Amino acid sequence: MSSIIELKNVCKSFGDTEVLHNIDLSIQEGEVIVVIGPSGSGKSTLIRCINCLELISSGELIVDSIKIPDERGRIRQIRLEVGMVFQQFNLFPHMTAVENVAFGPSKARKMNKSKATDIARDLLDKVGLAEFENKFPGQLSGGQQQRVAIARALAVNPKVLLFDEPTSALDPEMIGEVLDVMKSIAKDSGMTMVVVTHEMGFAAQVGDRLIFMDDGWIVEEGKPAEVMKKPKSERLKDFLGHVKHH
Amino acid sequence: MGFEFSVITESLPALLGGAKLTWIITILGIVGGMICGILAGLGRIAGTEALGEEPHGIFKPLSVVIRYISGGYVETIRGTPIIVQAMFLYFAFPMLVKAVTDIERFRIEALTAAVITIIFNAGAYIAEIVRGSVISVNKGLLEAGMSLGISRLQLIVHVIGPIAFRRMIPPLGNQFIISLKDTSLFIVIGVGELTRQGQEIMASNFRALEIWLTVAVMYLMMTTVLAMSLRHIERKMKIF
Ligand SMILES: Nc1ncnc2c1ncn2[C@@H]1O[C@H](COP(=O)(O)OP(=O)(O)OP(=O)(O)O)[C@@H](O)[C@H]1O
Ligand SMILES: [Mg+2]
Repeated sequence: MSSIIELKNVCKSFGDTEVLHNIDLSIQEGEVIVVIGPSGSGKSTLIRCINCLELISSGELIVDSIKIPDERGRIRQIRLEVGMVFQQFNLFPHMTAVENVAFGPSKARKMNKSKATDIARDLLDKVGLAEFENKFPGQLSGGQQQRVAIARALAVNPKVLLFDEPTSALDPEMIGEVLDVMKSIAKDSGMTMVVVTHEMGFAAQVGDRLIFMDDGWIVEEGKPAEVMKKPKSERLKDFLGHVKHH
Repeated sequence: MGFEFSVITESLPALLGGAKLTWIITILGIVGGMICGILAGLGRIAGTEALGEEPHGIFKPLSVVIRYISGGYVETIRGTPIIVQAMFLYFAFPMLVKAVTDIERFRIEALTAAVITIIFNAGAYIAEIVRGSVISVNKGLLEAGMSLGISRLQLIVHVIGPIAFRRMIPPLGNQFIISLKDTSLFIVIGVGELTRQGQEIMASNFRALEIWLTVAVMYLMMTTVLAMSLRHIERKMKIF
């Protein structure tokens, strides 16, 4: 198997503050990576660097054989292959559910409208929202909005999906429905996924690799069950203790 | 000298002629002002994160230049009275042209000067309305769009544009009404708009009460039409 994403000695600074230090990470096609770590440890920054919402300050990023910073002009191509799901859903408020999902294929993939709409209907059906296609985001619950957002990210047919705490803004009773959709994507489509989450159950069940970040460093990584059972560092022990008690 | 209704009916044709001119200056002015305002408003935030990502290469210095030009325009217009702008354009600008070129008989029609003044004046205020509405659009929506691989231009047209436009309507209504009333200042460059017509009739018959009451009602009717049209557009736009 070849790696679809590679970070080589990547650093990221905001002004004078370096928030990612010398990150080396290689992600194989079809791999599901779960990223955990305390607040401010750089989890969001790391995955935002992967689809170039943040530009890396030094080092090299290779996504689907496109090299950053060398091929900066091809960032849009990277984004076509790397979708993202946000904590705050970020659905377009002036479009219905089906319009939200069809927007990507019709504008980014230049598909004709009826074909894009067909794809959108299909995906909404897959995430269990067929009967909500004509609702606006404001008329949907948080869990429903996040499922539309996942369908929207899938609609451009990316090779990789990034999730930034996709269930953190949801009421507890809605977390399950979103995690179920994510699990089925991981299992059925063999999608490469990088998921920032504190849902340890999800990590154990579908994660191929768990990465623990602290203070801008990757501190530990390995099989989720092993890392969780036998954390090597004090910081991870500490962190897991906190997560379990919540 | 009581209230003579006949004074109103007699002066009505002239006043209606003035109202028509006021309306024409206003409509041309706000249509041009919208174009000018959208360009300058977007210009003021060119190359910033409000319109997607920061540019690189040649676009970086270019966006700085565009921001300075737009900013200079807005601040100059906001910082000077509209009546001075009109006088400058009508009286001073032809002299400036004469001084720096060989063109001898350069003249601007009063009506043209009036329309141009409203366009540039309204444009500066509309630019600020545009800028404010655009930067108020949630940045997460742009990131979501960019993550789909959609181009900046398409995001401006299909996402930022519609959302910002809806937020612009109330302050735009305000500005359109101000511009309409500002046309009354063109009395100083001799444009025969409504206020000027009222002034001329008044000077010949001294019926201040009837004339100014009629003029006021006519302005009120025109501003009401503007306000109601905008309310109509606001209601027709999707609820979100
Ligand atoms: N745009 C920015 N400008 C300046 N500093 C930033 C910016 N974005 C993030 N940071 C800083 O970078 C560090 C890492 O932030 P990041 O959002 O990646 O953390 P995180 O692990 O995702 O935290 P959380 O769990 O709270 O989401 C923090 O110290 C944060 O303050
Ligand atoms: Mg985060």
